Amino acid sequence: MSLKRALAILGAAVVLSAAVFVTAAMSKTAANDPNNAKLTYWYWAESDAPGANKWLKSEVALYEKSHPNVKISVVIQSTDTLTSAFTTAAQTKTGPDIATQWATLPTLTPAWSGATVPISDYVPKSEWKNWISTAENMWDGKLWAMPQYLIGIPFVWNKQLFKKAGLNPNVGPKTWAEFLADCKKLKAKGITPFGMGNQDGYGGAWFFSLIGKQNLNSINELKAAMIGTQDFANAKFSGFYQLLVDLKKNGYLNSDVASISFGQGFQLFGQKKVAMSWGTDGNVAQWEGQVGAKNMGVGAIPIWGHGKLSTSYDVTQSSDAFITKWSKNPEAAAQFLVFLHSPQALKAWYKATGVFPADKRFPASLVTDPIAKQLLKLDQSPVSVWPENFVPPQVDQNADLAGGEQITSGSASPAAVVKLWKSQLSQWKSQHPDEYAAYKKWATGH
Amino acid sequence: MRTRARHGIVRVLSQHAFLIIICLAALYPLWFIASTALRSNAAYQLDPTGFPSHPTLGSLRNMLFHEPLPRWMWNSFLVTISSVAVSTFFALLAAYAAVFGRFRGHSIFVSTSVALMVVPPVTLLVPMFVFMVDSGLVNHLQSVIIFYTGLLVPFAIFFMSGFFRTIPGELIEAASSEGAGPFTVFRRIVLPLSGAASFTLIVVQAIWVWNELLIALVFLQNEGSRTLMAGLTQFQGRFVTNEPLVLAGALLSILPVVALYLSGQRFFVRGLTAGIGK
Amino acid sequence: MAFAFGFPLVQVVRDSFYAGNFSAPIYVGLANYRGVLSDPAFHQSILDNMKLLLTVPIMLGLGLAIALVLNDRIRGGRHYQSVVFLPYVLPATAIGIAFSFLLQERGVLNTSLRRLGLGGLAQDWLGNSHLAIVSVGGVVVWQQLGFAVVVFTAALLALPPETAEAARIDGAGWWQLQLRVLVPQIRPIIELLAVIQVITVISWVFNYVYVLTAGGPGFSSSVMELYIWRSFSNGSDGTAASVAVMLLGMASVLIGLSLWVRRQTAAQ
Repeated sequence: MSLKRALAILGAAVVLSAAVFVTAAMSKTAANDPNNAKLTYWYWAESDAPGANKWLKSEVALYEKSHPNVKISVVIQSTDTLTSAFTTAAQTKTGPDIATQWATLPTLTPAWSGATVPISDYVPKSEWKNWISTAENMWDGKLWAMPQYLIGIPFVWNKQLFKKAGLNPNVGPKTWAEFLADCKKLKAKGITPFGMGNQDGYGGAWFFSLIGKQNLNSINELKAAMIGTQDFANAKFSGFYQLLVDLKKNGYLNSDVASISFGQGFQLFGQKKVAMSWGTDGNVAQWEGQVGAKNMGVGAIPIWGHGKLSTSYDVTQSSDAFITKWSKNPEAAAQFLVFLHSPQALKAWYKATGVFPADKRFPASLVTDPIAKQLLKLDQSPVSVWPENFVPPQVDQNADLAGGEQITSGSASPAAVVKLWKSQLSQWKSQHPDEYAAYKKWATGH
Repeated sequence: MRTRARHGIVRVLSQHAFLIIICLAALYPLWFIASTALRSNAAYQLDPTGFPSHPTLGSLRNMLFHEPLPRWMWNSFLVTISSVAVSTFFALLAAYAAVFGRFRGHSIFVSTSVALMVVPPVTLLVPMFVFMVDSGLVNHLQSVIIFYTGLLVPFAIFFMSGFFRTIPGELIEAASSEGAGPFTVFRRIVLPLSGAASFTLIVVQAIWVWNELLIALVFLQNEGSRTLMAGLTQFQGRFVTNEPLVLAGALLSILPVVALYLSGQRFFVRGLTAGIGK
Repeated sequence: MAFAFGFPLVQVVRDSFYAGNFSAPIYVGLANYRGVLSDPAFHQSILDNMKLLLTVPIMLGLGLAIALVLNDRIRGGRHYQSVVFLPYVLPATAIGIAFSFLLQERGVLNTSLRRLGLGGLAQDWLGNSHLAIVSVGGVVVWQQLGFAVVVFTAALLALPPETAEAARIDGAGWWQLQLRVLVPQIRPIIELLAVIQVITVISWVFNYVYVLTAGGPGFSSSVMELYIWRSFSNGSDGTAASVAVMLLGMASVLIGLSLWVRRQTAAQ
């Protein structure tokens, strides 16, 4: 090859690549321009509180009107990639300014690895002392995320379908035995007793959090099982899986439980295809519109276990908002987040979703709907814990969700799922020794 | 003789029936996408199999005007054009040098290309990701353009050298004996002859890049830089209870490919079988 | 090319020996490999890739049948071929999403089966952990079939007509003609296509699995590519790298096979 030719080729290649890069650079995303106060907010809440996406859109519009130099772009997240999308983004050290994760472990895990900043560094205590349930995200004396709303998960039943099966429509099952008896009667009349979707695993995860905790006396026991000082194979942690197996075996669940997603599962009760279900306060508000307030009964989850937590409720902030470490303008982000707790925003939120804002300043007098009043009463239960918040995200995905999917698809026994939990816990420990150490310190103090 | 003819008719009819069934199976999912995209969500939830008796453009309009789909389509388009252009250009030169050049080890070069064709891109994912993050290219289209180009080149070289080998050596000999330098030979003789083959190569590579998912998911996570396929999976999660909307997005992602296919079927077919023949 | 392949290939082996946060990696030696090899999800992923291998004979057989029929100079053959080939050019992601709706337990396929009175055939295609990977395989066959058809048709067309003529004159029946004369003549092509499809189901099925089942239920339909991606998106880069190295090993074996087959084909 002659030198001249080689140089010619090289030159052409350089010119071409330069042209490619220039064209590609011209389509750079706006978020990389350092001169604008532009914020990106990765948001999730619609599954908990139908109507949330619209609410945020209108709040953003209001805020941008009064702050013309701020532009906020909202990116709605999917439930099944909420955590993994952020974990991947954290590895790139670029991405959103504000992000959403579920409370406690999913929020603290990125905090421990240095991907987020405490919101208490940017918001004065005089403001955040009004937020409810901040204890869920405290670490090292700082508050790491802002709660937006509180949800409980009540048990609901369709009064009409109850009547059809010969059950008292005004009394819901209080114990698991009563629940099973009701299921039997409903099935006998050709009514699907209980509805949920578990293709993506969240149905099973809720089972873990609502029923699985009932043989524990304190959530510290679960924390101990996570770090290995107690054994997850102990029946008090995992005995509940047999209940799920039995529900499926007896045909008390909708036949497509393993192939419809969690979100699709929520449609069943509203479409009157099933007699009983559980859902967030937000789902209940939506079902009220479809099934009718007079036709719906709400109550606490049936009691099965014997631990102190069997009578606990399950209110949690569920998802929260936090500021990322790489955000170029954390002050602007914090200011917008505080705006979401202004009286106007809180009122608009309640109107749009029927879910209670996580703010002490929200006037309870605004809650007038009779069912909402019942929900509020439940939400004020003295003891409340949502166990899934205490499971490391990787273990949650690979054992909690995957294990539940295996149960509802009939491919594994409870014993096999317990084995799965244990193997995933040990994998988490060996793949993320830093996370494990941080969790241990947070849970036990050393 | 008559039984023979009757057997003949039975055979022909059964052949047609067989093919028709296959074709229906091939086309039904497309019909499902198109018809569901044109139905309202309420109608779909009531009866997923129903015929779109009240077709509506609502979902399509939603996709085009209220969702980032056009932006994502544009990103995919840019990425496809850039990586295919660079890869083809490079392959033309490299294959020419390999087949007609006289440098040592040119056959090893082509064999290496063949070997690299088979490496699953996912195995290179982690180190390439780390590299892109460290060089600040992640979430920019350049990251996938670079990666795709690198992945496309082996097949392109393999394909082009296969084609170049069919060019009779005498043509080249004749030209160089008349005093034409290698670059001139390339420009005047080889390049014009490879028009059809190059076009085929471009089309095949373009389809591959357009349809690629895994790498795009990992390198382009920001809403503004996503590609179309990664975006479709976002819709699948975001609109889990609105199938017509998701399928409207799927339909829009398929239309360019179908249009390309209908206008140039011969090239598709030829391109994918040419490599086999060699 | 050295950049796109050489550097990452070396780096991925290095990465496989580390755990922890990738900005603060901790050297763990072979621990990642040990962890992966004892992980039932990993075993299942390999098993599922192997199960997908079963689609190759189906694809080849069906493709061959269609090609032979088309080769009979049937009327409208070109049109049939265009339709059969169309699925192959469509984006796997879009197709996968469509099938994820079609195959739900109350989705289109089952509803139609039930309406036709074939309710017994209706299964939970995506929710039954034994069937999930079968459903993925079904979609793979649906899409890849066109490719096999086109390749075989071209190969059959390239055959010298004299052999077939001679056989016909000798009184060979239709079936005999297909099976005893035509098919053996294109055997090298069939073998080559088999190798290509084997490589496809080992390393190019991520799209299908991701949108159809995401590896579920549990991880019963996970494949190696998905396992790597899952590890990566959980921040376990070291684990992802170790599985990538193992996948590379598997693929290398197949490369060797394909080169050997090509040499056989070229020799003929």
